[in-house]
Amino acid sequence: MADSRIDLPQGTLDLLILRTVALAPLHGWAISERIHQISSKVLSVQQGSLYPALHRLERKGWIKARWGTSENNRRAKFYELTARGRKQLELEECTWRKLALAVAQILETI
Amino acid sequence: MLNDLLLRMRSLFRRKIVEAEMDEELRFHFENHVAKLIRSGLTPAEAKRRARLEFGGMEQMKEEYRDSRGVSFIETVLQDIRYGLRILGRTPVITSVAIVSLALGIGANTAIFSMMDAVMLRLLPVRNPEELVQVRIRTLQSGTQTGGYFTNPLWEQLRDRQDVFSNAFAWSENRFDLAQGGAVQYANGLWVSGGAFETLGLQPVVGRLLSAADDQRGCAGAAVISYAFWQDRYGGTESAIGSNLALDGHVFPIIGVAPRGFYGLMVGTKFDVAIPICTVQVFGKDSRSEGRSTWWLEIMGRLKPETAPQQLKVRLEMLSHQVFAAAMPLDWGQTEQQEFLRRVLVGVPAPTGPSYLRQQMERPLYVLMAVVGLVLLIACANIASLMLARGTAREKEMATRRALGASRARLIRQLLTECILLSLAGALMGMLFARWGNEVLLRYISTDRETVFFDLSLNIRVLMFTAAVAVLTGILFGVLPAFRSTRVSLTSAMKGSRAVESDTRLRFRPGMWMVASQIALSLVLMVSAGLFLRSLAKLATLDIGFDRNNVLLANTNLKAAKVAPERRLEIYDEIEALLQHLPGVISVGRSWRTPVTGYEWNEYVSVDSPSAPKGDDSLVYFNHVSSGYFATLHTPLLAGRDFQASDTKTAPGVAVVNETMARKFFPSANPVGKTFRVLNGQTAAGPTFQVVGLVKDSKYESLREATFPQAFFPISQIPGNDDSEYFEIRTATRPESLIAAVQNSVAQVNKGISLEFGTLAKRVDDSLVQERLLATLSAFFGGLALLLAMIGLFGALSYLVTQRQVEFGIRMALGAMPASILRLVLREVATVLLVGVAAGLCLALATVHVLESLLFGMSARDSVTLFTATLVLAAAAFAAGYLPARRAMRIDPMDALRYE
Repeated sequence: MADSRIDLPQGTLDLLILRTVALAPLHGWAISERIHQISSKVLSVQQGSLYPALHRLERKGWIKARWGTSENNRRAKFYELTARGRKQLELEECTWRKLALAVAQILETI
Repeated sequence: MLNDLLLRMRSLFRRKIVEAEMDEELRFHFENHVAKLIRSGLTPAEAKRRARLEFGGMEQMKEEYRDSRGVSFIETVLQDIRYGLRILGRTPVITSVAIVSLALGIGANTAIFSMMDAVMLRLLPVRNPEELVQVRIRTLQSGTQTGGYFTNPLWEQLRDRQDVFSNAFAWSENRFDLAQGGAVQYANGLWVSGGAFETLGLQPVVGRLLSAADDQRGCAGAAVISYAFWQDRYGGTESAIGSNLALDGHVFPIIGVAPRGFYGLMVGTKFDVAIPICTVQVFGKDSRSEGRSTWWLEIMGRLKPETAPQQLKVRLEMLSHQVFAAAMPLDWGQTEQQEFLRRVLVGVPAPTGPSYLRQQMERPLYVLMAVVGLVLLIACANIASLMLARGTAREKEMATRRALGASRARLIRQLLTECILLSLAGALMGMLFARWGNEVLLRYISTDRETVFFDLSLNIRVLMFTAAVAVLTGILFGVLPAFRSTRVSLTSAMKGSRAVESDTRLRFRPGMWMVASQIALSLVLMVSAGLFLRSLAKLATLDIGFDRNNVLLANTNLKAAKVAPERRLEIYDEIEALLQHLPGVISVGRSWRTPVTGYEWNEYVSVDSPSAPKGDDSLVYFNHVSSGYFATLHTPLLAGRDFQASDTKTAPGVAVVNETMARKFFPSANPVGKTFRVLNGQTAAGPTFQVVGLVKDSKYESLREATFPQAFFPISQIPGNDDSEYFEIRTATRPESLIAAVQNSVAQVNKGISLEFGTLAKRVDDSLVQERLLATLSAFFGGLALLLAMIGLFGALSYLVTQRQVEFGIRMALGAMPASILRLVLREVATVLLVGVAAGLCLALATVHVLESLLFGMSARDSVTLFTATLVLAAAAFAAGYLPARRAMRIDPMDALRYE
């Protein structure tokens, strides 16, 4: 299982988090699970970097936190995208796509 | 970023809630993960283990989480402070030793710095002090040197012609006697021109200040008093305004009180009363008002805001010729008049006010600042050793905290916080020491005749300095121990036994480095202390040509007694006769001045000889003395005769000269019977005197002078306008015990005669105030440095003996004699000493030359001092090393080995 994992490149975690919470408010655990699942278990987010990242984004005002009840009826902290976060997400998505395209082009041509 | 700020605030002030939320969130995550693992088929125990492994250090993660909150800095600082206080409180003895030694070190630095601040840096407490300029005179010969004194005619010319200052004023300091007869009671007075207070921009506390209208020829006069004088003498009541104040027997109405923080213009003194310049006529000092060679006023102006410094220079130069031409002394010879006209006015920025004390104290203060700086460094080294030793004791704590996830930087920050806490506590206490130290210092440099005053009130500069020193010292003594004690090997520390370091003997450990540098620095301090002490001893034992012991000085003044000038001599003769018959009096002398008092009187002298000295070389210093003077001061008469009754006012002028004058003016022959002429100015011939006696050389103005050529004239031939005379009374007992009797005798003759007492020994002592200050303080700090260095050595060696206990035990078990163990330890002492002394001597030789100008009759590289200082240091070092060495000798091999 550890073999198929890839550590996240620097700076992409923020983008993934923003993307993950864009649809609906999620708690930390769900965010890490969602990333893990959607990436076909290739990407895994270490707790050690997830929570500091969440906090950083909260301080930047891109997401906001609110206490709610989880699916198994426990108190959990849910994170949701703010309006500014949405703008930031669009920006970062755009940048990422450009980057990915450029990298792919180079890899294919050379 | 309001959002950000709010979140940060929340983490800072609602810390408990935020922490609990973080715990809850992480636990939620953890439990979800465990549940997931169980679902995948693991047993609950196995799932928990796996989850924990994947999570890594929970505490480390929390720490990172906390960091991302962005307030962890303030938060951890607060936490560090709390923890630091607890740790320091746990070892009260070590903590208080550290704080007290820091307080001494920082206190000494603050004390000297606030002196420097008061003497050199503090601006005058007036409006825009940076606009103030002192006007001085440059002569052709003087080069860059300038003179600060003006005559009143010069001042009036300058005042009426100048166009560079928005306002200017002149002033002069003077002591006034407040008592009317009897023991004098001096007040520090200022003669000021009418515009003084207005130029300075000062406002009265009550009443009004002097204005231009108060300073007109023929004025009756009015007095402005200082705030302190108003408080002391009038209790700060408004009724003081309008009341009369007698100065030297002349009465002036008080018109107002100067503002509280204004102590006068000169740093080092404080004024009590100011009166306008026009009142010199009331005092009968007409020469001050009209005299074109009476140099007594200083001038200051406030620069017009639009005048550039360059413009000031040019305008003053242009002004110079007119001013000097209009106030030329008409009785001067032609060459001097030519020279007078070529003098140039210069402006010197004076935002801190002029001060003679400043020039005199600048160097000593720099030296003292360096000395206390070094002492603080040495104290720092000691505390660093203390911290190092404590660091070793806390190795386990450090290892545990590292293991629990604290980063090394975090631990170093914690340790440095403890150090800065220590030094801040030291600084607070040091400020108290400094206040007290300053008072002692001021009392020390004040003399009978001159009370030194500095405005030492706390200001932001001094506070900043102390705070900076405190933080710097904290870091200085904290850095090395913090780095050393956080460099722990986790495993060996946790095991509880430290691997015996095998190479202890070969490495010169940091503790020892510190001791060596302490020794080097304290050697430098001891050398400078030795130099100052030897220099003072040389001055104190110098042959000064008179016997200072058991001589009472009484300065009598007839001004207040209103004695007619022609009766003066009679009255003084009468007093002398009375004093001679007092019990306990051996002999009585009288003179115009006493030696080593500061007044001087010199004139150019010529003799009929082709090889006679010319120009400044022919200056001779004068005094008028009575026939009993030489006998009373024990100055031997070497040839000829003393003055006698026949040397009356109308008899031909006679003089007694000293050896230096005889050598200079009559090199080949016996001076007795020869004549010399006193010149009027540099060339015009004045009266002729015949030499009737030759006396041994004695000091005139200061002990440091190369003896001046001196001529003494009979006091009966003193020109009539001086009211003041000194009585020198040689006593059989303590001179002070005769004061009351002398006072009575004088009062019998005339109750209005004012009297000021002193002793010759005290006068001579007072003239060495700067030398004694330097010697005492440098000896004190040199001793303190030695003590600190020895404590450092003792501590380092004790530590070393403890560390090598096992090694010594094994050696002894294998048959080593105690003496060889002693040698082992003392060899360490010798190494440290050698390194320290070598470095110290180099440092001393490289730096002591700056002391040269403060020394008397010796070189700064005085070998006796260097040798003695080294010897004392070595003796002290071996004494300090002996105790730990003895402990090493007495180690019981069995005990030592049992530890392993």
